[in-house]
Amino acid sequence: MTTLVALMLFFPLAGAVLQAAFSRSLSRAASGTLAALAIAASLAAALAAVWNLGVAPHEITLGQWLAFDGFSANFSILYNRLAGLMTVTVTFVALLIHLYSAIYMREDTSFARYFCYLNLFVFFMLIIALADDLVFLFMGWEGVGFCSFALIGFWHEELPNVDAGRKAFLMTRVGDLGYVAALAIVIAASGSASITGLTAQIDAMPTATATLIGFLFLFAACGKSAQLPLSSWLPDAMAGPTPVSALIHAATMVTAGVYLLMRLEPLLAIAPDVGATAAVIGAATALYGAACAMGQRDVKRILAYSTISQVGYMFLAAGCGDVSGAFFHLQAHAFFKSLLFMVAGIMIQAAHEEHDIFRMGARLRRAMPGLFLLFACGAAALSALPLTSGYFSKGRTLADAIAHPGPAYLLAFILGAVAAFLTAVYVFRLCFVAFFSDPADPARLLSDPELARMERPLWPLAALALGYGFVNPPEFMGLKPWLDVYLAGTVTPLPPNVEHAEFFVEMIDAVLAVSGLLLAWLLYRPARHPVAAPAGALTAGLGLDAFYRTWIAAPYCRLSARLWRGVDEDMLDGAAMGAATGLLTLSRVAARLGSARPSTTLTTLLGAAAALLTWLALRLT
Amino acid sequence: MMTQNGFPVVTALIVLPLIAAVALLFMRREWTVRTFTLGVGILECLLCLPLLGYAPDGPAFQFVEQAQWLPALGMTYHMGVDGLSLYMILLTALMLPLCVLGSWTYIAKRVTEFHFCLLLMTSACIGVFAALDFVLFYVFWEAMLVPMYLLIAVWGGPRRRYASIKFFLYTLAGSTLLLAAIVAFRQVGGTFSIPELMEKSYAFKFQVWAFGAMALAFAIKVPMFPFHTWLPAAHVEAPAAGSVLLAAILLKMGTYGFLRFCLPLTPAATETFAPLMIALSIAGIIYGGCIALGQTDIKKLIAYSSVGHMGFVTLGIFLLSTKGVSGAILQMLNHGITTGGLFMMIGLLYERSHSREISDNQGLGKFMPIFMFLFGLFSFSSLAFPGTNSFVGEVLVLIGAFQGNPWIGFAAVPGAMLAAAYMLRLLQRVTWGEPASYKPSWKDLGLREWVTLAPLAALVFYIGLAPALAITTIEPSIERTLAAMRAKNTAMGLTKDMPLAERWLLTGPLAVAGVSDSIRKEHP
Repeated sequence: MTTLVALMLFFPLAGAVLQAAFSRSLSRAASGTLAALAIAASLAAALAAVWNLGVAPHEITLGQWLAFDGFSANFSILYNRLAGLMTVTVTFVALLIHLYSAIYMREDTSFARYFCYLNLFVFFMLIIALADDLVFLFMGWEGVGFCSFALIGFWHEELPNVDAGRKAFLMTRVGDLGYVAALAIVIAASGSASITGLTAQIDAMPTATATLIGFLFLFAACGKSAQLPLSSWLPDAMAGPTPVSALIHAATMVTAGVYLLMRLEPLLAIAPDVGATAAVIGAATALYGAACAMGQRDVKRILAYSTISQVGYMFLAAGCGDVSGAFFHLQAHAFFKSLLFMVAGIMIQAAHEEHDIFRMGARLRRAMPGLFLLFACGAAALSALPLTSGYFSKGRTLADAIAHPGPAYLLAFILGAVAAFLTAVYVFRLCFVAFFSDPADPARLLSDPELARMERPLWPLAALALGYGFVNPPEFMGLKPWLDVYLAGTVTPLPPNVEHAEFFVEMIDAVLAVSGLLLAWLLYRPARHPVAAPAGALTAGLGLDAFYRTWIAAPYCRLSARLWRGVDEDMLDGAAMGAATGLLTLSRVAARLGSARPSTTLTTLLGAAAALLTWLALRLT
Repeated sequence: MMTQNGFPVVTALIVLPLIAAVALLFMRREWTVRTFTLGVGILECLLCLPLLGYAPDGPAFQFVEQAQWLPALGMTYHMGVDGLSLYMILLTALMLPLCVLGSWTYIAKRVTEFHFCLLLMTSACIGVFAALDFVLFYVFWEAMLVPMYLLIAVWGGPRRRYASIKFFLYTLAGSTLLLAAIVAFRQVGGTFSIPELMEKSYAFKFQVWAFGAMALAFAIKVPMFPFHTWLPAAHVEAPAAGSVLLAAILLKMGTYGFLRFCLPLTPAATETFAPLMIALSIAGIIYGGCIALGQTDIKKLIAYSSVGHMGFVTLGIFLLSTKGVSGAILQMLNHGITTGGLFMMIGLLYERSHSREISDNQGLGKFMPIFMFLFGLFSFSSLAFPGTNSFVGEVLVLIGAFQGNPWIGFAAVPGAMLAAAYMLRLLQRVTWGEPASYKPSWKDLGLREWVTLAPLAALVFYIGLAPALAITTIEPSIERTLAAMRAKNTAMGLTKDMPLAERWLLTGPLAVAGVSDSIRKEHP
C-alpha cells in the first residue's frame, strides 16, 4: 500500500519536473503525452490502491519533516476510503482534462509550462486528499494555491489576468491565516498536528478550544472554496485557460475546503456551532452564487458563480455532519461541472474567443450538435432534473438540512431550496440563450475539425453526469446506496431521519427544477428574442468585490503610502536626523565656546562651577 | 594557546581572510585578485567543515581556544562555538565566495580594495559570532563597521555618502552604549569572560540598565522598529555584495547579541521587558510589511521586508520558549539565505538594466526564464511558502507564539499575509507584463551567476524539507540558555506577576547553583 500511495504522488511530481527540465526540447505532442501519461499512471495507482483497501484505514509515514521540542511534523498519510475515492476522482477528472488540454493548447507556445503546472497541481491536490499531518496538508493546500495563481495568470501578457491570479492567491491566503492559526493552536494544545492524533484526543479537548479551532479551519475552507465572505476571487479566476477552470476552479481545488471539513469531521462533531455556521454559510453562498449567475453574460462567469453556489451545497451537507452526502455531491459536481466548463471551452473557441452567450445562438447548436448534447447532459445534472446525478446529490444535501433540528438548519434549507430553483433558471437561461436564440450580432463561427476531437474525452463525463446518481440513490427508491455503504465504516453513518426526509425533499427538488426550467423557457425562449439585461448589482456579484476594493485594498494601499512618507520618512527618520542635528548644534556651541574671547569662556566656566556647587550644597544639606 | 581539538579552527577562520587580505595588496591584475579571493572563500568554506562535527549533546562551548591577551586588564583571547553561533559562522563563510562570484562583473573600480573589504568583513563577522570575551567581541563588532562603511561609501549608489555616514553613526551610537554595558559588567562581575559572566546573577536594578544599553545597541543593529530607518538607505545605496552581507550577516548580529548577552546576563530584565520587545517585534512585522507594499525601488522593498522578517526573529527570541527561540535561530539562517539570494539577484538585474526601479525591470519572464525561476523561488521562500526554508522558521515562531499567548499569535499571523501581498506584487511586475526597457543584449543567467545562486537555492529546499537536522543541533544550546535563565530568575525570587516596584528591590546572589555546571562543561 505504501508503494502504491507513494507512486500515486510520484508520477505527477515526476511529470512536472520532467516538463520543467526539458521544457525547451519537448515537442508539443511529447509534452502533452508525457503529462497525460503521468496522470494516467497516477490514476492506475489510485485505482489499485482503492482495490486493495479494506475498511481499516492505513497510516503511512513517508518521512519526517521537522521535529523539535517534543513535536514533530511528518510526511504522513491517512489513507482511508474517503481519501481513496477522492484520489480516484481527482486523477480521473484530471486525466480527461489533460487529454482535452492537449488539443485545447494546440496553438499556444508555452505548452510545457502549462503541463508542468497542471501536473504539479495534481501532485499538490493529491497531498491534500491524502495527508494526515496537517502541516503536510498545508503544503498541498498552499501548493494548489500557487498552481492556481500561476495558471490564472498563464496568459501573462495581459496584466488583468496576472492581477486576477494575484487576487486569487491573496484572498485564499487570507483564509489560510485561519489555517495557520488553527494549526498553531492544535499543536500548542495537543502537541500533535495529525488528523489521527486529533481524532484520538478529541474527547479530551474542551468544547471552547474545539470551537475556536473549528471556526479557524472553517474560515480557511471558506477562502479555498470561495464561500462567503471570501468568494469574490473565483469569478476573476476565469482569466485562466478553460481546462484550468474546469480542473482547478470547479472540480478539485475549490472543493478542497469542503474536503478539509470532511476530514476534520470528528472535530466538527464536538463543535456544533461550527457545523451550524458552515451549513448557513453554505446555503447562503448557494443562493448568492445562483443569484449572481443570473446576471452574467460571460459563459465562464456563469459557471464560476454556479461553482460557488454548488460548493455551498457541499458546505451545507458537511455542516450537517453528513460526510458521505457532501462527498457524493462533490463527486457529482466534479463530473458535471468539469464537463460544462470543457464544453464552454469548445463553445468559446468555436465562437472565436467570444465569451458572451448573447452572441452565440442556435447556429452553434446546428454546427456542433454533439457539443449541444454534451452541454445538455451537464445542464440537466447541474439543474437537478430528476434522476440525474445532481438531482440525487443535491436532494441529499437539502434532506440533511431539513432533517437536522434547529432554526439555523431550517434557514439553511429554505435558502438552499430557493437557490435550487434559481439554479434551474440560470442553467436554462444559459442553455436557451447560447444554443437556441437568434442573436442580432452573432460571433463568427470557427470550423475546425480539432474542435470535434476535443469533445471525445467529454463523453465519459456526460455519462457520469447523467448516471452517477445511481451510485447513491435515496432509500425510497429501494436501490442499494453503494456510496453510503462503502463509506459507512469510515465516516459517521447517516442518521435515519435524513432517509425519511429524502422522499419529501426529492419531490420538492424535482418540482423546483422543472418549474425553473419552465420559467427560463418563458423568459428566454427563442421566440422572445432574449437580450441581455443591462449590467446591474447581480452582474457585479452584489458589490462584494467592489466592497473589498473600496474598503480594504484601497485604504491599505493608502495606509502603506501614508506610513512610508508620513511616519517612516518624516517621524522616525526625522527623529533620528533631529537628534543628529541637535548634536551638531551642540558641538557648534561648544566649539564657539572654545574659540571665543577668554572672558566668555571664563564666565561660562564660573557659571558652571557655581551651578555645580549649588547643586552639591542642596544635595548635602 | 589552549585549544580543544588540537587545531584552532576558529582562529584559522578569522586569520585566513586577514592574511589573504594582506596578500591581495601585492596583486596587480584584477583577474588574479578575484580568483585569489574566490579561492580563499572556498578554502574558508572547507575550513568550516570541522565545525560540522559540533556535538549537540557535548559541552556548552566547543572548539574553544583560549590565550593570554592583556592580562593586566583581564582580557583574554577566548573563542568558542555553540548552537547559537554555529550556523551564523557557517553562513558567513558561505557568503564570502558567493559575494566574490556575484560581484565578478558588478564591481569594476578599485577591485583590490573591494575584495580587501570583503575579506576583512568576513574575518570580523566570524570573530563577532565566535568571541567569548566581551572586549574581544566589542573589537570585532566595531571592526566590522569599517569595511561595511567603505563598501557603501566607495562602491555605492548616487547617495552613498549620506547612506554610509547614516549607517555608520546610527550603529556607532548604539555601540557606545554597548561599550558602557561592557565596562559596567567588568565592574560588577569582575571579568570580561562571557562564560564566567554567564555564571553569575546580578541585581535587578543593574540588569535593567545593562539590558537597556545592550538592547538599544542590538535593536539598532537588527534593526527593530522604530530604529530601522538607516536600513533602507543603506540597502538602496550599497553595492550588491554589500547588501547581501548586510542582510545575511550584519542584521543577524543584533539578534545574536540578544541571544548571547541579554538572555543569559540580564535574565530578569529580559523577562520584565519581553512584552515590550514582543510588541515592538509585532509592530515591526506589520509595519515593515505594510510599507514594503508601496515601494517602487526593488531594493527598498526588500529592505522593508527585512524589517518585517527580523520582527519574526525578535518575536521568537522574546517568547523565551524553546519553540520560539529555535524558530528564531532558524529564521535568522533563513533570512540570510533568502534575502541574501534576493539581493544577489537584484544585483544581477541592476547589472543588466542599471536601474532598481520596478517599472524599469518589467516583463522579464519571457526573456530570462531561469532568472525568473530563481527569483520566484526566493520570493516564495520569502513569503514562507510551505516546503521552503522560511516556512519552517515562521511556523515554529508562530506555534511558540500561540503557545505563549494566543493573542500574540493572532497579532503576528497577518504578517504572513502582508508578505504575500508585496512579494507577489514585485514578482508579478518583474516577471510579467509588458517589458518596459528590455534590451536584447540582456542575457539570462550565465554559468557564473547560476553557480552563485545554486547553493542558496539548494539550501532553500534543503532546510525547507529536512530542517530536523538543523533543529536538533541547536536545541540543546537553546534549552541550556533558557534553563539557566529560569534558574537565575527563580534564585532571585522573581515571579511572573511581581509588580515592577518589588522587582526593583531584587538583589541577586552572585552565583547560582546549577547554572555554572552547565556552562563550565566547556573547560577541557
